[in-house]
Amino acid sequence: MTTVPFPHEHEFETQDLMINMGPQHPSTHGVFRMVLQVDGEVVRDVVPYIGYMHRGGEKLAETMDFRQGIGWMDRTEYLAQHNAELSYVMAVEALAELEVPERAQWIRMILCELNRLSSHFMFTGAFGTDAGIFGTAFVYSFREREVILDLFEEISGDRLMYAYFRPGGLAWDVPDNFARRVAEVLKSTRQGIKDMDGLLTENEIFRARTVDIGKISAADAIDWGCTGPVLRASGVPLDLRRTEPYLYYDQLDFDIITGTNGDVYDRFVVRVEEMRQSVRIIEQCMERLRPGPILPDRLPRMLRTPPGEVYLRTEAPRGEYGIYMVSRGGNRPHRLKIRSSCFANLQALRDMTIGSYVADAVVILGSLDIVLCEVDR
Amino acid sequence: MNNDLFGFEINVWADAAARLGLIVGLMTVVVMGLIYGERKIIARFQQRLGPTRTGPAGLLQSVADALKLVAKEDVRPRSADPWVFELAPYFVFVPIFLMFVAIPFALRWEIRVLELGLFYVLAVSSVNIVGWVMAGWGSDNRYAMLGALRAAAQAISYELPLVMSLISVGIVADSFNLTEIVRSQGQVPNIVWQPLPFFLFFVAILAELNRTPFDIPVGESEVVGGPFVEYSGIRWSMFFLAEYAALFILALLGAAVFLGGWAWPLGEEWGLGWQLVLTALKAGALIFAVFWVRVTMPRLRIDQLMAFSWKVLLPISFVQVLANGLVLVYEPPQHIANILLAAVSGAGLLLVVWIMNHSVGKPRPRPVLSPRAATAPTATRSEAAR
Amino acid sequence: MRGLLKSMGVTLAVFARKPVTREYPDTHRPLPERDRAFPLLLWDHDLDEPFCTGCHACERACPVECMTVLMKDNPNHRTQGGDSTRRKIVDKFWIDYARCMRCNICVEVCNFDAIAMNNTWQGHETSVYDRADLIQDLPQLLAEHKAGAIKPWVPQ
Repeated sequence: MTTVPFPHEHEFETQDLMINMGPQHPSTHGVFRMVLQVDGEVVRDVVPYIGYMHRGGEKLAETMDFRQGIGWMDRTEYLAQHNAELSYVMAVEALAELEVPERAQWIRMILCELNRLSSHFMFTGAFGTDAGIFGTAFVYSFREREVILDLFEEISGDRLMYAYFRPGGLAWDVPDNFARRVAEVLKSTRQGIKDMDGLLTENEIFRARTVDIGKISAADAIDWGCTGPVLRASGVPLDLRRTEPYLYYDQLDFDIITGTNGDVYDRFVVRVEEMRQSVRIIEQCMERLRPGPILPDRLPRMLRTPPGEVYLRTEAPRGEYGIYMVSRGGNRPHRLKIRSSCFANLQALRDMTIGSYVADAVVILGSLDIVLCEVDR
Repeated sequence: MNNDLFGFEINVWADAAARLGLIVGLMTVVVMGLIYGERKIIARFQQRLGPTRTGPAGLLQSVADALKLVAKEDVRPRSADPWVFELAPYFVFVPIFLMFVAIPFALRWEIRVLELGLFYVLAVSSVNIVGWVMAGWGSDNRYAMLGALRAAAQAISYELPLVMSLISVGIVADSFNLTEIVRSQGQVPNIVWQPLPFFLFFVAILAELNRTPFDIPVGESEVVGGPFVEYSGIRWSMFFLAEYAALFILALLGAAVFLGGWAWPLGEEWGLGWQLVLTALKAGALIFAVFWVRVTMPRLRIDQLMAFSWKVLLPISFVQVLANGLVLVYEPPQHIANILLAAVSGAGLLLVVWIMNHSVGKPRPRPVLSPRAATAPTATRSEAAR
Repeated sequence: MRGLLKSMGVTLAVFARKPVTREYPDTHRPLPERDRAFPLLLWDHDLDEPFCTGCHACERACPVECMTVLMKDNPNHRTQGGDSTRRKIVDKFWIDYARCMRCNICVEVCNFDAIAMNNTWQGHETSVYDRADLIQDLPQLLAEHKAGAIKPWVPQ
């Protein structure tokens, strides 16, 4: 057990206090539990407990055919549902060797990036609350997230569990006013990013709370298996959209945002800047979107895949979201494993937190942007 | 033995009872109004509507909440220390209401004129921390304990700048009598000649009231309400009442001491109605500022909070007290004294701002990589990263 | 201090904007045509019978097994002296709304366009005091479309 040397240890014997934070705690983002061993206000050890949200999603998905499983992917990652569905359907497509029409791919990209925006808005809002703003950041973020969810509802019919992607394309085409609606959403999103940025990024108190807190070096981040903004904030330009382009990301012009310091502040700024890049990507996608089919010409009524296995990863808002799928033929996966980005990012929590203050522990946990449904699955 | 209450000669005890009744009645109404006002104002800051469903425009929301709190079961944890737990709300509640005795609303509109009114307010206001620590200790809850210790540390730290800022004004006014302080401001309120004490006062009341960015003891996202975490029903509402009563009283105090109270800019000869309106407007502006800061600022950390108080605010407030004392002793002509004080005070304020700017470092340039510069790392675990 | 003032400026600017709140139970946002509440059965107004033939396609495709379907011979079929072309017709149909995960798969697999998602606010506001009340039977499932209360959207 790692301990931080304390100057008075030999002079005056003190007893550390164990604080049980969670599973019902306002800032543990769901049902995460961590037991803090504190010496006054200084955290000397953290023991995280996960599994309160475990529903056996992977096993359940093995009992479902490829279309039914899509609904389960929504429920593993309830803030970036389109991204989760994308990984799943792309894995199925890779197994079944399906050709996806061009229009479906562009729409998938637009929706995934919009979903990244909504997920990052959720992060900035919740993070503002963790840092101690009385709800303002949260409400500003939710205002913008609401606009994006409205668009998703108009397209897919549901606000949260879209079940819109299908192996081979999309369930149905987008409505006719799609282009106009996306333009409206982007307009309000830009305003929202500006508000968030103005509210937090330069604020001295916010910087005092986040700069040099929860630092993790690039090497440590790689060793822990961190991906996504947590890794990029440490200065590693690993973004699967650029390094292993899927869909049509290689045709687009966008920046990979990396931080320099690997602290909480960098993780925040990287996400805010990523939102700007997502807006750029969506604008480019809208220019390239053409009418056409959204499903392959010949798609069997019940999709069956040849035997085989595939690991397919995409860049979800929280990092690498991978699907490992084994098929023994038939209409359902023999084995399904989800490589969860949050689960890997959460492993670094203990390293980041030890030696900081109790208040910092909350901010560090917030900066990892965990979704407990994805961690526990 | 008779006293004069609004022109009526009445018995001393009846007078005392009447004044006490006025306090309690007035405070309850004011607190309900403040809660409603805060919810509405903060809602507008967040593009929401706030309470709308109880009564016209939600006006009765506070009444409904109060009724609910009174009717709720008063739960006490089994392992709590019964006496300490049950008595703690009174230790928070009573000192706040005692502060009310010396606060003037308008000329001759106060409970009692005390010659050492300022001193009395300060002395009484710091008692309630005992209640906080009792609540934290008695609850037998670690969050409550942590919150109570934070509250104690914070209250002690910020009591000193508060005292210093008010003392420096008292020195300028040559009196600790609040009515005298208001009268001495004359044409120009104290905030003009003494901006630094006003700043210190504002920061200190934010800390005294446990409001953002100093809501560390009750920080919802860290200690889940701090000392109040185990309280419910009527006892919890007493803490709440005390919090808003303190906000109201300290805003009135700030309006009287720094913003010229009921006198400036109309002068004392204006009628009671105008005086009350002026006081209310000035206190209202202060309260609005508190709400505005609350919706904007993140929370400081406990060590940063203490450092800000002991290393920045306190030394600078000593300088201000020293300057004011020198002016008092050597008695230069009035206009020279004023300019001197304003110069010292302004310089001190600028120094505080400078320290605040430089203590957190410059904002880093936004990290952006050029579009094609970022290629795949040769391996996910490259030697370059090592 | 500049950053603090900038933050205060942002909140003050928002203070001047109009609130975005919708007072939900009083004012309902118009729902998009594709909105998915819970599945409903559709009524064939021409022949005055359900579209559903009780073919079990939706029941088999449902990921959460929230449906139960029973089929019977159509008494209104031509051979029986009626004017319907449906040889078989739905006898009993239950959907447990408490289990349904609103994935729209039942609508996609239906060969007769007999099932659709409720896209009205009534479909969303289904709170009850007993979970058993959420199990809908055939008359309840048909009632809304029979009364012409919904305009279903079925993906092509």
